[in-house]
Amino acid sequence: MNILAIETATEGCATGLRTASGLEIIKLVDENRQHTEELTVGIQALLREAGLKASDINRVVVDHGPGLFTGLRVGIATAIALAQGIGAEIVGVSSLELLAHGAHDAGVRGTLVCAVDGRRGEVFVQTFTLDEGVSPKDEPRVEVPRTVVIEWATMAVPVTFTGDGVERYLSDFSAVPGAVIHHEKVPSIHAALTLGAMRTPTATITPLYLREADAIANFTTRERAK
Amino acid sequence: MSVVLGIETSCDETAASVVDSNFHVISSVIESSIDQHRAFGGVVPELAGRAHVATIGPVVERALKDAGLDPHNPAIDAIAVTSGPGLIGSLLVGLSAAKGFSLAWGVPFVGVNHLEGHLFAPLLEKSDLEWPLMTLLVSGGHSMIVLQSGPGEHVVLGETIDDAAGEAYDKVARWLGLGYPGGPEIDKLAQTGTPGKLKLPVSMTGEGYDLSFSGLKTAVVRATEKNADVPLADVAASFQAAVAEQLLRKLRTALEKNEVKGVALAGGVAANSALRAGITQLASEFGIVAHLPTMQMCTDNAAMIAAAGVHRISHNGPSPLTLSASPNWQLVDVK
Ligand SMILES: [Zn+2]
Repeated sequence: MNILAIETATEGCATGLRTASGLEIIKLVDENRQHTEELTVGIQALLREAGLKASDINRVVVDHGPGLFTGLRVGIATAIALAQGIGAEIVGVSSLELLAHGAHDAGVRGTLVCAVDGRRGEVFVQTFTLDEGVSPKDEPRVEVPRTVVIEWATMAVPVTFTGDGVERYLSDFSAVPGAVIHHEKVPSIHAALTLGAMRTPTATITPLYLREADAIANFTTRERAK
Repeated sequence: MSVVLGIETSCDETAASVVDSNFHVISSVIESSIDQHRAFGGVVPELAGRAHVATIGPVVERALKDAGLDPHNPAIDAIAVTSGPGLIGSLLVGLSAAKGFSLAWGVPFVGVNHLEGHLFAPLLEKSDLEWPLMTLLVSGGHSMIVLQSGPGEHVVLGETIDDAAGEAYDKVARWLGLGYPGGPEIDKLAQTGTPGKLKLPVSMTGEGYDLSFSGLKTAVVRATEKNADVPLADVAASFQAAVAEQLLRKLRTALEKNEVKGVALAGGVAANSALRAGITQLASEFGIVAHLPTMQMCTDNAAMIAAAGVHRISHNGPSPLTLSASPNWQLVDVK
């Protein structure tokens, strides 16, 4: 099976390809470039390097969030079109679990909190336990970084933090007593290829936004204020 | 002859269409998220973007199947996609999908200007129309008078300096407590009212073809505050007449100063009954043909994007896969 993975949930933009013969190529795009300009070109370059045609792809794996809304849509729309266009299977994986698996691959063990920058002073977070495997301890949710920091400072247990949400609020997260920072901003594309190969394909991909569209939030507030 | 798949996601419509190089529409599918925006009195960008992601795949698949094409290996020669102007988050969904399909099928794609798409709409209903053509393009986002000497050859004579006509309709409708979108609501109400019952100023009486609707909207607010007893239907009829008068007066000047074979109406506001009647009358006065598109061709659709794509790809060649969306792409910059 030839698997293509797409990750655009954070400011980084990454694509990866694992071929039936076991070759794995990963391309990380400069985070200052726009996803929309780089993504398809990146995929084209991967295919060329592996000597494959687009129609040779059997499965497309895409990071379905949580993350930056526009980036997510660029990645998911590209993945949907590519998979539908060639009749390939499609699988969604979450940015938070990709961070967790990336940390596991890097040797991190114990309790891990993954945080993806959600902009507007918020982060998308989820807690995992890393031992022989990676298992989620709670559901992904959106939080103000300080809430997460206070929660862990109060518990005073060993914990590791990772993700671009942690890097963005590094001084806050570093202040948690006994906390270790695993510096990694980009959800692991290697993990996307591995997890994507094991998951059951779905009919379509639904982005995990974890936050309502602006107008709805404002509208509800307005209605309440009346 | 070649066959082009068009994709349009610049605002709240997710649309796909298959058109051949003779501008024959083989299939056209339009999904709108308008119901989600109604409560807010305008299109909410984030909601529109989310809706496009959910519908883009099924809409393209249906357009291909309706055209009798294999969705996994369609016999098309190119993909045309709206790359601007429009809502950035919405444009990016269509553009990303177009690139994905382009890569999947190994066919070239081209980014098309949405407004130029509107200008190609009359060709889809009458492929042998005679040039030059004077077009009044009026929609929720744009209002302009365009002189077309041929397909893809256009000069913008004038455009709105503030609100678009459709925008003014929405704002006035909201003020009057009518539903969204305002165009059809006001048009319907205006049928039972008497224009002129509410005194409204005539805007942009000077030389030139530029338009303005912001003052008119303010005037409606002031006049209704002062004359609260004027029936709603009369307010609607007076406003509608004032909008039509400004547009038709500018159009008349344009027709007097430029010799053309026809006059066309394009864009969502082209469904407006006062404008349609006015243009029909102007055409007969000048002894030229009036091109009044059907509802489906007035509003945003992908057939017009495919049609513009047919022209652009043969004249300018395909776009690179690195193409970005251009949310503020002006028609005057299309070459
Ligand atoms: Zn339009």
